Amino acid sequence: MKIEGKRPAKSRDRAISGESMSPKPLYIMLCSAEHEKIQLAAMIASVAAVSDRPVEVFVTMNALLPFERGKSPAERYHGGHFHDLFMTKNVPDAIDLFGQGKMLGEMKMWACSLVLDLQHWECDTHLTEDLFDGPMGLAKFLADAESGELITI
Amino acid sequence: MAERQTIDARGAFCPGPLMELIAALKLASVGDEVDILSSDKGSATDIPAWCAKVGHQVVETGERDGYWSVVVRKAK
Repeated sequence: MKIEGKRPAKSRDRAISGESMSPKPLYIMLCSAEHEKIQLAAMIASVAAVSDRPVEVFVTMNALLPFERGKSPAERYHGGHFHDLFMTKNVPDAIDLFGQGKMLGEMKMWACSLVLDLQHWECDTHLTEDLFDGPMGLAKFLADAESGELITI
Repeated sequence: MAERQTIDARGAFCPGPLMELIAALKLASVGDEVDILSSDKGSATDIPAWCAKVGHQVVETGERDGYWSVVVRKAK
């Protein structure tokens, strides 16, 4: 199903400035490439985003490798007790969930600039299309995360 | 005039049915209703909780033959 339109990224700014009762933004640091953990991050991020909570996801270390452009699900996902069930049952694909969170809610995804440099990757050419908002350094993400709640997966 | 549509999300695992409901509500008009059918046990509690959080109205919830039907009215 194609959905047009996206809400403007205003509630995070309101939350930071304290102008309203907007929920605290949720910051997720994803640093594991294990399928279960990517799936959990995608579930948390997408459900929070569609529940009117601003979400920012920082993907770092080997967690960024499954997001390489052009990979099939079989190449992308590995590891975890439930990996085989995720792949054989009708469980939503993690990349699709992240995409739905961005499309239906207020969500941003950032790729760790260190990993991009080490891999000689660019967001626009080496990562999954239409998912990442750009590169980001750890210091900037941690500074932003002071305005909300940070979970690390 | 308000319309009701049925989304058959049976067989989809969490959070698939919720995301399908949200996508349908996004396209619906205020007052329209979406009947989401789900075999995911969590949907019976997740969908009403999500509606309470974001301000949509649960019209009815019922367990059918091995699945749940949750009717949601778009309220805003």
